[in-house]
Amino acid sequence: MTTSKILMSLTASALALAAAPALAGPVMDDIKAKDSLICLVSATAPGFSVPDSQGVFQGFNADFCRMAAAAILGDATKADIRGVGFSDSMKTIVAGEAHMGSRSITQTGTRDADEGMAFVVTTFFDGQGFMVPSALGVQSAAELDKANICAEDGSTTLLNIADWFAAKGMTYRVENIADKTARLEAFFSGKCDVYASDVTALTADRQLAPTPGDYVILPEVISAEPLTLVARPDQALEATLFWAFQVMLNADAHGVTSANVDDIVADLAQKPADVQRLFGTDAATTDMAAKLGLPQDWAYQVVKQVGSYGEVFERHLGTGTPFGLDRASTLNAHVADGGLMYPYPIR
Amino acid sequence: MIPAAPPPEQRRDLLRQWAGTPVTALVSALSAALAVWVASAVLDWALVSAVSPLRPMEACAEAAGACWRFYVEKSRFMLFGTYPYAEHWRPALVSVLLLALSGMVGLRITGRLGGVGPRVLLALWVLVIPLVFALMGGGWSGLAPVDMSRWNGMPVLLILSVIAIALAFPLGVALAVLRYQGRWPVLRRVAVVYIEAMRGVPMVTVLFVGVFVLPLTLPPGTRISPVMATLIALIFFHASYFAEDVRGGLQSLPASQTEAAASLGLSWGQTMRLVLLPQALSRSLPALVNSVIGAYKDTSLVVVLGIHDLTSTARMAFSEPGWGQYALEAYAFVGMWFLLSCAFLSWVGRDLHRQQSARSR
Repeated sequence: MTTSKILMSLTASALALAAAPALAGPVMDDIKAKDSLICLVSATAPGFSVPDSQGVFQGFNADFCRMAAAAILGDATKADIRGVGFSDSMKTIVAGEAHMGSRSITQTGTRDADEGMAFVVTTFFDGQGFMVPSALGVQSAAELDKANICAEDGSTTLLNIADWFAAKGMTYRVENIADKTARLEAFFSGKCDVYASDVTALTADRQLAPTPGDYVILPEVISAEPLTLVARPDQALEATLFWAFQVMLNADAHGVTSANVDDIVADLAQKPADVQRLFGTDAATTDMAAKLGLPQDWAYQVVKQVGSYGEVFERHLGTGTPFGLDRASTLNAHVADGGLMYPYPIR
Repeated sequence: MIPAAPPPEQRRDLLRQWAGTPVTALVSALSAALAVWVASAVLDWALVSAVSPLRPMEACAEAAGACWRFYVEKSRFMLFGTYPYAEHWRPALVSVLLLALSGMVGLRITGRLGGVGPRVLLALWVLVIPLVFALMGGGWSGLAPVDMSRWNGMPVLLILSVIAIALAFPLGVALAVLRYQGRWPVLRRVAVVYIEAMRGVPMVTVLFVGVFVLPLTLPPGTRISPVMATLIALIFFHASYFAEDVRGGLQSLPASQTEAAASLGLSWGQTMRLVLLPQALSRSLPALVNSVIGAYKDTSLVVVLGIHDLTSTARMAFSEPGWGQYALEAYAFVGMWFLLSCAFLSWVGRDLHRQQSARSR
């Protein structure tokens, strides 16, 4: 290549850069150019992401992929949701072959310090707990000295148990069973006294017992597991994900759902100022849309096509599902109900 | 007038065979009872207590037997997984192509497909393997591109078994020849080290190296999909086993074959190609078929790498919330598939044995 050609191509790329909107980053541009948002989920996480009979991923985590597609492309079905293993999904995002991940990744300091991947917003607050047969009569995890614990080998679960028991000066024995089905079988048949996992997983696993009522989940939560959305670093994309999630939380706080959002928008002048700011035509959200390069009605599309946070929670994990999680009793309740879901102001 | 018939061959005395002594009688009675019990349990599950596919899913909740409606709902998912629903014809065509080609090879080596020569088969393989990847991946002449993470179920099982075996075979033959020959001692050593190292390591280790270590050798920022990494690892692994099968065939040939070829003035290459290899390959066919059956069944191990082959999509089919009770139906589907496909392979193997012992008699 001659010098003049290099100069020409440099000028061309400089012009292309200048033509792009000021804030929209390369990842955001890529999503729009492809007209499709590649979002990685776990392939086998019942309730969070698992394919239905048509091979389309359904679940709590999958819906946050749809949230992003609805906000950026105006169409939730443009989310290209792919089921990928844990370590491969990190590599895929860092290699630039996916735009975001929604797969119950615990946000930790060292992970966030790594390059190539940005943690955006926590969609689910979880923590590790213990399940015991109610016949044992144990009320608190402090009574678990010399217990026989079933837990997954090589996971952070075992490290958390080691820390916690050491701090209490108690001893325990671990029954290492790698396969989850076999591990649960061992617990239900009485081979171990305690089953340790994340509290939400415990709630789901308890449903698999012959008589779920025979088991209790102890009140202690011994670790913090903030399950967080990740994105390829791009300021506009990160802001969009963060605020689309806040739209879902605000909708939740004001009782707006995908079912009633049309009625609310039709009668917007009568609604509280916070709701007007979400869906109004010259509201805070339209201002954000112009700056982030989103469709004008992105907030409406998120609520209409995906729903409010509470709606998504109930749809996949709530009391009407096989998991039967009572949202009010988890950390994911609205802040007014004692949870950690705190809607940021959209204005 | 009807001509007098010759005396019939001696009738097999079934009663004596099955109950000649008290011990055989006892064994026969026990195995008959076991067979009846198993058959009745299977029949009861599959037909008597089963729920017809025409009835809705709700009818299955109380049933003790098979829920056939499950297959109506989930068969396509178990076969093709998360491949885009509207594009299912592509993995279906790929599966049919690979199965037809494998079937043709099986029939050819048992001598049943006379019209199709080895050259035709070779040409078909050379044509079909790139076609499989082109069809699955798309991105040309209007076919929508499909990422490899969406290649699930049957086509992945077939790519990782049939294509891995097909590509491992020539490599295995080359390794066997290198290990057998004495003209290049260094290459011979290399082949020995390679074969013994591969055979001395469990397959899971090779798979993990393929998926977790192989990508580290690539330039930073590039990524090899787990399916491709596994395919490469499997080719190198199976090749070492095929090499040992073929070497067995080569070593069983009498030295006079080489000497006769030399006295005809054939070069080393001609001797190998025209005299030794054809005989060695036909002698090692039964052993090769054995290795193929093993390799085929081992393919399901790729589940540990997060690749969703048929076994894994079947598990996903019943891990959808509310479908957990249908694990037996899903596993029965996979079991049936492996039973049928392995039955074909072992029929090929038995047929070869029969032909060989008939020839040596």
